[in-house]
Amino acid sequence: MPIMRVGGYLLVPIQIDLDDRTVGRLQQQLLKEIERTRARAVILDVRMVEVIDSYISYTLSETAAMARLMGCRTILCGIQPPVALTLAQMGVVLQEVAVARNLEHALVLAGSFQERDKGV
Amino acid sequence: MYEERITAIIEGPAQEFDIVVRITREEDIAVARQMAKQLAQEIGFSLADVTRIATAVSELARNIYRYARQGRIMIRKRLEDGDSPGIEVIAADRGPGIPDIELVLTRGYTTWERSLGIGLSGVKRLMDSFAIHSEVGKGTVVITEKRRRAF
Repeated sequence: MPIMRVGGYLLVPIQIDLDDRTVGRLQQQLLKEIERTRARAVILDVRMVEVIDSYISYTLSETAAMARLMGCRTILCGIQPPVALTLAQMGVVLQEVAVARNLEHALVLAGSFQERDKGV
Repeated sequence: MYEERITAIIEGPAQEFDIVVRITREEDIAVARQMAKQLAQEIGFSLADVTRIATAVSELARNIYRYARQGRIMIRKRLEDGDSPGIEVIAADRGPGIPDIELVLTRGYTTWERSLGIGLSGVKRLMDSFAIHSEVGKGTVVITEKRRRAF
């Protein structure tokens, strides 16, 4: 999975079907990258993702919780309307994950997290 | 009698279904989901419903893989006279079975460590009809259907 560095953030454009193994590998890869780059925020762009089920949701939340413990926020952007509808209907709550409308909004959110962290 | 019904579904002729996916490996979950999505698209479901159906199949296939190690996902078109077409999804396994069905349909209940516990209840919410037959030590069959809404 390609992970790009944008400023002090990591950007992950997810462009493949998220099977269980892929999502598990992404988690490992992200944690390593957060440690290596000391990124303040990770932006996961899921615009191309057509199905997010309960396990993928669980793993994304878990990854965000782990990242948070490393001082890094996780922002999800680009959730497609049918995916949003399905997740809401199932009652999925993405804990520890901030949600942005699109990539631009995600960058603004990441910036605001950085501002908030400055005093610390 | 009950066992015969499960056997009939698990070993029954696969040609009665448009899609039969044997779930034995983790990758098969994604395969089942993709194939369900294609068939739902062919039937003419809306994108929202295609996503619901694919997600429901994903949950069912994962339950088979997790709890029974192997089983089958069987999917077919349902064309009934005067009715809008639909899709039927059956998940069948000879796994450990479910001692308390009420309990597993409770949102947030799970016996798996890394899980939200909303898989089966989620499937029930996403599909139009939902039936589950399970016997401890024998296996589990989930039969679920979604009808295409008239436009």
